[in-house]
Amino acid sequence: MGFRELLKNKEFVILDGAMGTMLQAKGLKMGETPEAMNLEKPEWLIDIHTQYVNAGSDVIYANTFGANRLKLAKCGYPVDKVIGEGIKLARKATEGHNTLVALDIGPIGHMLEPTGTLTFEEAYDIYKEMIIAGKDADVVVFETMTDLYELKAAILAAKENSELPIMCTMTFEENMRTFTGVDISAMCITAEGLGVDALGVNCSLGPKELYPVVEKICRWTTLPVVVKPNAGLPDPVTNEYNCSAEEFAELAEALIPLGIKVIGGCCGTDPKYISELKRMLADKKYVKRDVHIPAVCCSAVETVVIDQPRIIGERINPTGKKRFKQALLEGDIDYILGQAIEQIHAGADILDVNVGLPAIDEKAMMVKAVKALQGVVDTPLQLDSTIPEVMEAALRVYNGKPIVNSVNAEEKSLNTILPLVKKYGAAVVGLTLDENGIPKTADERFKLAKKILDRAMAIGIRKEDVYIDCLTLTASAEQENVMQTVNAVRRVKEELGLRTVLGVSNISFGLPSREIVNHNFLMMCLTSGLDLPIMNPNIDSMTATVRAYKLLTNIDKNSVDFIAHYGSEDGAPAKKAEKRSDIDLPYAIENGLKGEGAELTAKLLETTDAMVIINEMLVPALDKAGEQFEKGKIFLPQLIQTAGVAQACFEVIKQKMLSEGGDSVSKGKIILATVKGDIHDIGKNIVKVLLENYGYDVIDLGKDVDYQTVVDAAIENDVKLVGLSALMTTTLVSMEETIKLLRANNVDCKIMVGGAVVTPDYAEQIGADFYSKDAKQSVDIARQVFGN
Amino acid sequence: MGGVGRVVLEILNKDEALRYMGYRDTPADEKVRAVMDECEHQLIAVIKPCFVYHVFEIKPSDNGMAVCGTSLELKGKSISEHLAGCTKCVLMAATLSAQADRLIRRYEATDMTRAVMTDFLASATVEQVCDAAEEQFDAELKGYYRTWRFSPGYGDLSLDIQGSFLEVLQAPKRIGLNVTQNNIMTPRKSVTAIIGLSEHEISKGRQGCSICNMKDVCQFRKRGEHCGI
Repeated sequence: MGFRELLKNKEFVILDGAMGTMLQAKGLKMGETPEAMNLEKPEWLIDIHTQYVNAGSDVIYANTFGANRLKLAKCGYPVDKVIGEGIKLARKATEGHNTLVALDIGPIGHMLEPTGTLTFEEAYDIYKEMIIAGKDADVVVFETMTDLYELKAAILAAKENSELPIMCTMTFEENMRTFTGVDISAMCITAEGLGVDALGVNCSLGPKELYPVVEKICRWTTLPVVVKPNAGLPDPVTNEYNCSAEEFAELAEALIPLGIKVIGGCCGTDPKYISELKRMLADKKYVKRDVHIPAVCCSAVETVVIDQPRIIGERINPTGKKRFKQALLEGDIDYILGQAIEQIHAGADILDVNVGLPAIDEKAMMVKAVKALQGVVDTPLQLDSTIPEVMEAALRVYNGKPIVNSVNAEEKSLNTILPLVKKYGAAVVGLTLDENGIPKTADERFKLAKKILDRAMAIGIRKEDVYIDCLTLTASAEQENVMQTVNAVRRVKEELGLRTVLGVSNISFGLPSREIVNHNFLMMCLTSGLDLPIMNPNIDSMTATVRAYKLLTNIDKNSVDFIAHYGSEDGAPAKKAEKRSDIDLPYAIENGLKGEGAELTAKLLETTDAMVIINEMLVPALDKAGEQFEKGKIFLPQLIQTAGVAQACFEVIKQKMLSEGGDSVSKGKIILATVKGDIHDIGKNIVKVLLENYGYDVIDLGKDVDYQTVVDAAIENDVKLVGLSALMTTTLVSMEETIKLLRANNVDCKIMVGGAVVTPDYAEQIGADFYSKDAKQSVDIARQVFGN
Repeated sequence: MGGVGRVVLEILNKDEALRYMGYRDTPADEKVRAVMDECEHQLIAVIKPCFVYHVFEIKPSDNGMAVCGTSLELKGKSISEHLAGCTKCVLMAATLSAQADRLIRRYEATDMTRAVMTDFLASATVEQVCDAAEEQFDAELKGYYRTWRFSPGYGDLSLDIQGSFLEVLQAPKRIGLNVTQNNIMTPRKSVTAIIGLSEHEISKGRQGCSICNMKDVCQFRKRGEHCGI
């Protein structure tokens, strides 16, 4: 009987207990590589496995938890050998029994980007190697995972390189989250969406403390639930776990009514615990759960249930936005992040991400944007592209369950997009149009919605994961059809029972006072059953309409959310009056007044040339701050605050120049990078802000940057100054290597270096042209290099 | 002896963070302090500080000190001097959690002033977490004199041991603390430290910059100051 049959046919599936503590009892030292014992002490493993088989385990985990290439580097054994032997030893112990053998895989041991330096793609590769090496197992187990992103890489590696069933368990703490902040619901819907066979929790706590965790898992998945708790909590003095085998079984019994299917033990448990579990389970029946998972999307840390109107922010999209297009051309990810955070503050629940621009590599940019966004915002994303390859790349690297925008009723679209939605476990927006365009009537659009739904369900996509967009046409062009959209929304919602989505702003195209038209149309649609308006949340009348709707429909109970946002409205205008009318730009900069600085710049631009503003106002104000910084009169926060205002002023100037199609204000291009291996990039970012405010174009390559990337970027952009930063003694060597490679390629540029551990002597020794002791000095160096 | 603990902080050491930033003779003005207050509020709201520690017997080895029952050897002159006369040591690791990294990243995209201030504040806070941790296991170390917290990277104790150090404490599993291939700890706002335990009184003279490998580049030293270790 295979693992899947076991799940189907047995009341309960019993796993094994701890491996690490058993090995330590045999003499493994703390800090030694346990998996090396597969080769060095095979008899230990056979004995341990045999004990678990005899105790009644239906599945035993081979000793392969940390047998990845990074961890094994320490002992020098190859992955395939350690894993191959591990499976063989476990198999040997099961001879004469029906016990199955699991390929056991734990975290790689290095954190993924952006907190760590391991990329998603590297993680995938590492897991792929393990999966292939463990092909003789009966089931693949991923356990003790704390990062959903790493788990996703692991699941994809298993799915794409093996036919074996997959079981995955993450480690949740008492706050119901993992160390990296992963939410239980996010783990359940993401892993189930990716097609695992069973999921649950292991380690961290005992069966008693895990009760609320298991309870929540059981509510968020339709799959068999796995529980592998520790033997209680460790005693601080003796380090012994506080749960005996009998207590463990007794506490585990309390989990049965929740609907668990698979159970075993983690740290501190041994074969006695498994025997006790078996004894306890002998007369118990599996409790079937009746779970319904709602329409939902999530990031790793935030789950958004579509049980009420949720705002999808539409601003991350270059269509009709010159400034956004420029940011894409320059690879300015910070601009996109800024747009994301602004929308979230304004009230967006989900963010649409579209970076399509003919002049750029959309796939690369999409991947970059998705990775950067999920590194700073909690809000789930809606991935928006018309190109299937871009969509798949985005789906792959997205951490959670996203929404795909979009599929339509054309055959080609249905055949390419829906399989991606299914494979990656996403939700999907279905546009009610086909080869013949957008149908005029509500009835025809309803029919297309039905077609999309049928096709989605035919390949196993849940009904709840199909959101229909009945498409807004502009009122100025097709006034007679506005109500067709509204009626189609109503019918899709009521008759098909699907969630509806709609871009609302198009309605007013070509009309005056668009805001008035937009928020009234929005209210009409909400009343007719719109769940997901795609809109600009920064326009308050729009966001307010959604909030008012929720208040009036009794969704916002006791008007809590509405009052939180508008409760102090009366006092608001007074704040503006406080603003001093007599301040000038230098004053605003010196005093860190960002908003005022931007306003004053806009006003000045009406009468003054941009370069005059830059050279005669911004730069002198920055110089003054720089001088005070050097003299120790002000410190880093104030210097950066000053720079922050200047940045806001520059942004205004940039916008204006773009709208007039004018030249850029660049004084020169500079590359900045935190060198390979180093992830401390705050210093580099400070330098960047300052340089930008002096009018330099900074190409920010980020942190942990490959040597070759610096060289390529310098050549491609014909850059005259490269700044390298390192903060650790261990990464200084990367700085040297980067310089060597720049020189070896005869890149015609000057190099400045800086960072806490860099000294002037060292800078000279490794062939840098300049040593920069702080951000201020990097500006001086730039001025010297560019002669401005 | 050993275990895992959590630390709840209601007030963060903002003065220390301001000191790191250079505010010494010139105190920070009200505006800077106001922003610092906000950073404190945000940081407290997101972090989940925790620590793991374990007491080991130690014995001198060829190159330094062997940590008994483990594969770990603490190599070098500095650590040998630090642990001279000690029969045991505490290995500890503490972290503010990955949520601190995330908050700083978010600020870096929107507000560098807050990013920098939160970064410094987080650095000061890890030390606070270590202090709180030491207080929590204080009772278990009764009867021992203690050295100050010596971290890998100080003196000639190589950062290369960082990975094994964390493995021995099972820090990846127990508090979510890892290292990169370049021995940088992630989450970034984290500390590993060694505290020597002796039955006899320990001289105060063991501390100071002379043994520190940061001594040539240390910003505090350049100003004739001391980092406080």
